[in-house]
Amino acid sequence: MRDGFRAVSPGLIALAIWGVVTGVAMVKAGLTEPQAIAMSLLVYAGSAQLTALPLMAAGAPIWLIFAAGIIVNLRFLIFGAALHPFFRDLPWRKRLFLGYLSVDVSFIVFMPRFADALKKGTVEQHWFFIGTILPAWIVWQTSSMLGIALGAIVPVSWSLEFGAVLALMAMMLPHITSRPVLISVVASALTAWLTQLWPLRLGLLAAVLVGIIAGMWAERRLQLRQSQSKARE
Amino acid sequence: MMENTQYLYTTIVLLAICTAICRAGYLVFGHYITLPDGVRSALRYAPLAALTGIVIPELLPWHPIEGPQVDLRLLAAAIAVGVFLWTRNGFLLIVSGMLALWVSRWAFGL
Repeated sequence: MRDGFRAVSPGLIALAIWGVVTGVAMVKAGLTEPQAIAMSLLVYAGSAQLTALPLMAAGAPIWLIFAAGIIVNLRFLIFGAALHPFFRDLPWRKRLFLGYLSVDVSFIVFMPRFADALKKGTVEQHWFFIGTILPAWIVWQTSSMLGIALGAIVPVSWSLEFGAVLALMAMMLPHITSRPVLISVVASALTAWLTQLWPLRLGLLAAVLVGIIAGMWAERRLQLRQSQSKARE
Repeated sequence: MMENTQYLYTTIVLLAICTAICRAGYLVFGHYITLPDGVRSALRYAPLAALTGIVIPELLPWHPIEGPQVDLRLLAAAIAVGVFLWTRNGFLLIVSGMLALWVSRWAFGL
């Protein structure tokens, strides 16, 4: 457990900044303090919270906010598939609990360390994992509460809610690492810009669909071109 | 701004269910699921596309009557992206974007 804590501690600083920004953003979007605290404790997912806030402020339909929350959390489904062999022998209640509390940083430090382990699902691995998710939870909730308190004090004219938009951008940019991904982002940006007056914020769904299609199209074209140039050699 | 308490709490509870489904779904039901490769590669593009779909209307809002709007937030965001590409640091992106917004507002007297 101590090893897990040691491995995760550099990530905790980023998590703390992130937590403060999310805390401020919830209050600045118009949530009352009890609502913001409930959101932080129950949802416990920064990207989903920041995504949901503008939609909630615009009064978007609940099903659309739910769908948006699922989409930005999809990465966890993929993490879950990788983590599954390590936890498959635990009772379902423990799997639910550990899964619910798992965050990006815990996955990022856990997988490189144990991906090639011959025996998966040892007690040591479980405690290492708990050693990463427990401090992450404590740091996140503390910093979010700090952000909620700050959000109530800082005047509106400082536009701190803009920090939330910047935080989302900080999350996106490191993942734009290949041409298909870039094409996907540009296509969804254009779609989002053109469709934003659609009712019920349905432009968001359009942006996701166009982004996926553009990304897959670009990926296929890249593969085709690579195989052609290989054939020529 | 947000006054409908029931709407807000329903949304919060549903988002909590979102978290549980995505984070624990595979751990709990993984014995029964296999994700086809096609779905897997399609899903890789979804999160970024969704974030883009959220960020763009915040940066480049469109007024119902007057049409597309441009304000200093776009300038601040562009500066922040530049700082990120230069430093590769997400924290500096947030700080520089906020500073750029405040300084440009002050400079343009807005």
